Amino acid sequence: MKKKVVSLLLVATMVASMVGCGSDKTGSTDTTNNNEGTVSTESGDTAEAEPEVEKPEEITIMVDGTVFTQENGQDEFIAKLEELTGIKINVIQPDHDAYYDVVGQTIASGDWPDVMILSSTYYAGYAAEGVLWDMTEAYENSDLKARQDAYGSTGVIDGVKIDGSLYGMPAARGNGCVTYVKKAWLDNCGLTAPTNYEEYVAMLDAFTTGDPDGDGVNGNTYGVSAAGFVGSEAPFINYLPEFYQDANPSFYQAEDGTWKDGFAEDSMKEALQRMADAYAAGYIDPTTLTNATSDCRNKFYDDSFGVFTYWAGTWATNLKTNLEANEKDGELVALEPIAEVGSYLDRIPPVWCITSACENPEGVFKYFIESMQDGGETQFLWTYGVEGVHWSTAAETLFEGTDNEKVYADGEFHGLENREKEGTQYTKAHIDPMLALVELADDPKDTSLAPEAKESAQLFNDNCVTADLVPSTDVMAEYNGELTTLKNTLIANVVMGELTIDEAYAKYEADHGAEWSQMIVDSLNAQ
Amino acid sequence: MKKNKNQSAEVNANSGKKHLAAKIYKYRGFYLMFLPVFVFAIIFFYLPMFGVRYAFTDYNGIKEATFVGLKHFQKMFSMPNFWSAFFNTLEISIVKLFLTTIAAVVVSIFLNEIMNIHFKKVIQTIIYLPHFMSWVVTASVFSLILAPTAQGLVNTFLVNNGIIDSSSMIYFLGDSKWWRFSYYLINIWKETGWQTVIFMATLAGINTELYEAAAIDGAGRWGKMRYITFPALQNTILTVIILNLAKVMNLFESAFVLQNDAVLDTANVLETYIYYQTFNSGAIPNYGYTTAVGLFKSLVGCILVLVCNQWSKKVRDGRGIV
Amino acid sequence: MKSKKKIEIFPIVNGLIFIILALIIIIPMWKVLVDSFDLKTAYGMKLWPEEFGLAGYISVFKNPTLSHPLMISFITTIVGTLLALTLSTFGAYVLIQWDMPGRNFFANMLLFTMIFNGGMIPTYLVLKSLHLTNTLWVVILFPALNVYNLVLMRNFFEGIPVSLFESATLDGCSPMQTFIRIVLPMSKAALASIGLMFAVTYWNDYTHYKLYITDSNLYNFQMKLRSIIMGSDLPQANGGATENTVKNAAIIVVIIPFMILYPFLQKYFVKGVNIGAVKE
Repeated sequence: MKKKVVSLLLVATMVASMVGCGSDKTGSTDTTNNNEGTVSTESGDTAEAEPEVEKPEEITIMVDGTVFTQENGQDEFIAKLEELTGIKINVIQPDHDAYYDVVGQTIASGDWPDVMILSSTYYAGYAAEGVLWDMTEAYENSDLKARQDAYGSTGVIDGVKIDGSLYGMPAARGNGCVTYVKKAWLDNCGLTAPTNYEEYVAMLDAFTTGDPDGDGVNGNTYGVSAAGFVGSEAPFINYLPEFYQDANPSFYQAEDGTWKDGFAEDSMKEALQRMADAYAAGYIDPTTLTNATSDCRNKFYDDSFGVFTYWAGTWATNLKTNLEANEKDGELVALEPIAEVGSYLDRIPPVWCITSACENPEGVFKYFIESMQDGGETQFLWTYGVEGVHWSTAAETLFEGTDNEKVYADGEFHGLENREKEGTQYTKAHIDPMLALVELADDPKDTSLAPEAKESAQLFNDNCVTADLVPSTDVMAEYNGELTTLKNTLIANVVMGELTIDEAYAKYEADHGAEWSQMIVDSLNAQ
Repeated sequence: MKKNKNQSAEVNANSGKKHLAAKIYKYRGFYLMFLPVFVFAIIFFYLPMFGVRYAFTDYNGIKEATFVGLKHFQKMFSMPNFWSAFFNTLEISIVKLFLTTIAAVVVSIFLNEIMNIHFKKVIQTIIYLPHFMSWVVTASVFSLILAPTAQGLVNTFLVNNGIIDSSSMIYFLGDSKWWRFSYYLINIWKETGWQTVIFMATLAGINTELYEAAAIDGAGRWGKMRYITFPALQNTILTVIILNLAKVMNLFESAFVLQNDAVLDTANVLETYIYYQTFNSGAIPNYGYTTAVGLFKSLVGCILVLVCNQWSKKVRDGRGIV
Repeated sequence: MKSKKKIEIFPIVNGLIFIILALIIIIPMWKVLVDSFDLKTAYGMKLWPEEFGLAGYISVFKNPTLSHPLMISFITTIVGTLLALTLSTFGAYVLIQWDMPGRNFFANMLLFTMIFNGGMIPTYLVLKSLHLTNTLWVVILFPALNVYNLVLMRNFFEGIPVSLFESATLDGCSPMQTFIRIVLPMSKAALASIGLMFAVTYWNDYTHYKLYITDSNLYNFQMKLRSIIMGSDLPQANGGATENTVKNAAIIVVIIPFMILYPFLQKYFVKGVNIGAVKE
């Protein structure tokens, strides 16, 4: 026994001594890191006084999978970009799935890149922690702002401002979901595209109880499906907008600028009632609760259901081709938002941020960030990629001898074959041409994009509002996780008929939901 | 138990310092062999352990960590759903451990009786394959098989055999009453075959003479299985169970991919609970908090292992599992 | 006579039960297999592909970027497994020296690593300061010490008769000589099973790759297939016409190496395999 105690003690001492050395080490990295931060802001201040902004020689950028990967011609892309900008660019591209883990590690290591892409959540969080350089002033005086003004897209930029300050530049709009309905199903049921909720429900009823797929059996289909009753990220309601309508299960900013939690409002209760009714009637896929997104797509392809709210743009083409590969009618109607919905929600786009470790943030902003949306050659590169690698205007035949054969005349712009996915073409680079914030000169999108993709993107663009960027507060970090879990459980329970709405809200009160919600709302309004 | 301790204490007292030096010299070759293991343990496990201190700080990976004492532990213990997640974890994880181990032992013993080597190979290969399907894929396949619709194989089977009515199909993964049952079943499906690998290897180590001797003594098939095969596995079973107890609190992926909003009261385990807490919060995760939870989990694992190790010493003549 | 009759019934019943068991186990995988050969996408179960085709597999294997990751997978798996087996057997061999001074300290030190860990960020900082990040070393070295497997190995070593060690020591064998002449040959089943566990860990590893490697030239096969399997879930990915078929083909491709590997190892899981070795 003694022996054992001794050996355990030894282990413990060893750990303790490690803890000692370790803390010293991180302590020192942290301080250097902070120093760097202050130094760079100082140099920033001095640079402001000078009229000329110096062009950086070399920068390091950290990007996710939305920039070309190595396998898809990143080298050629960066070479061309270096040629156009005159800046040497080092790219760090972690695996797309683990991007934010790696970003977190990199930030903690103190070895910050100059520029990185961040999603809205991390953007707000890192901005609040002083990791990001405030680009408001640089932006306000830039030509970029003028170009975006001219294209009518400054609203998107305003949407990512935090308390009036801008810490990151979106390269494009965030995009969102539109509701697709199978045209053949509408025809089979003798219906037209619904324009209000009543017609929408009538359509779901026909799709559920009738024989919309024409296989001679009534009632072997259902109206609509989704992966879960509520989304896992903002804007939470975008996969079932017709039921949610104006309801918002999370925090939003009211017209008068104050923050509110929409969960306990009447609009949410009505939305829950609508979903519960539709679920009970069988209009909503009975396994919605356990569906993965890929399950929904497969069910849509094999004609299990007829109404699917999914991404606008390229996905319209994907849904169509997959349906056709299944020998189903691929024609889809992208619905204009029904009257009660009013508009679809535009996700908050990921943004390009300059870190406060960057030595020459003005230069990086001017010569790197701004150039990305210059309306000319550099933006073209970011939108379509490299000529001869990702696109071409030469006369050629792609996919020769297959069903998918495509013949292009000389001078006709077209995407080249994807290096990783045989039989598919590149359609875009980092910037989706339909979501650009600045008009691109000689943009070939009118001819290069598949008509259904363009149509759904256009429909979305014409009918969307930007979702609210919810800033993060300490109270929120503390309680919102628990609160969201509670809300989601209640939503599932009500929709599936296990709780009535009154019972659910009684539980919401009893389980501290209302209390947490109020605390978070207070903290948001106190900012 | 006490006897053993006293004995070892006596041995310690008897061996003087000279003996110790002589002993160390005698074992010098072994120290050299342990050196690489030691170095790996230091680099990959002990150096990062400085991070344990973050459990007592507010740290988000950006600003210097600030000491906050036991704040994170207070918060953790005061959250209303923490304890339910904690007990869920213990129950789900331990029941799962015992079920899959028992299943693997039974399958191994009977597999060991198959004489046709080709048949044995085929069966063994088939039952171990599910281990190589990722949890995400497993979840999507089983949510189909267990679906409460005509497409769900299990429900269709039950309806066709008149066990349930077609209007009362069971939502195995969406109903709190059925979730755990389904979860255990899926785990047995996925991990039993893989666990037999280690048991089959143990059985291969049995001295064949033992079986021959038993046959001479007139032991039948059951007798051999009971008195030779099973005892031979005992040590391995014990080791596997105790080692796994150390990881009981780490249960994450399998629960995460199979759970959903409607079954969280029975399905939410500590790791998933913390996951929702940090990633649904819409803020940069507080690294101090997650470290505190990790430390708490380790302590629980530590207690479980120490308790079971004491118990195993009874079975193993005073030797622990390590 | 009596016993003969018993023996004849038992294997049949036993065999039948295993056939049924194997069939039940196959069902969920059958869904994936059928879908991987089916050019049509369906959500539900099918007994056979509706429209048979190899397009899914062709698309996976024609992917020109797969051969390099495949090579990385082979290298890391072979080197890693050998290294890991060395560490495990060395460690296990030391742990069966119950009289060795410090033995319990070493045992507890190893057990401690199984229970406590520093967490994601501190681990990254250590690896980075050792310049291991973004190299293949990190994915080879990091998983090599696995205390769980080491203890299992020790468990096997314990089964070796003590008399063998004693006679070896009397013959004047050094610890290393004993290890090579007695311990290793006596542990074929152990080496095969633990070796398999390590090989599987290395082959299937993606966590270490995605956290510590940002240069995609160093990605392994599993990482690549994972991006094919998961890839179509990216919000704006440009899926091909047979999205589901390709995905299922990739899932099957992941499993194939283990279907091939296991039967080869099974000869080491036969009764008496260890004993025979030493008698020679």
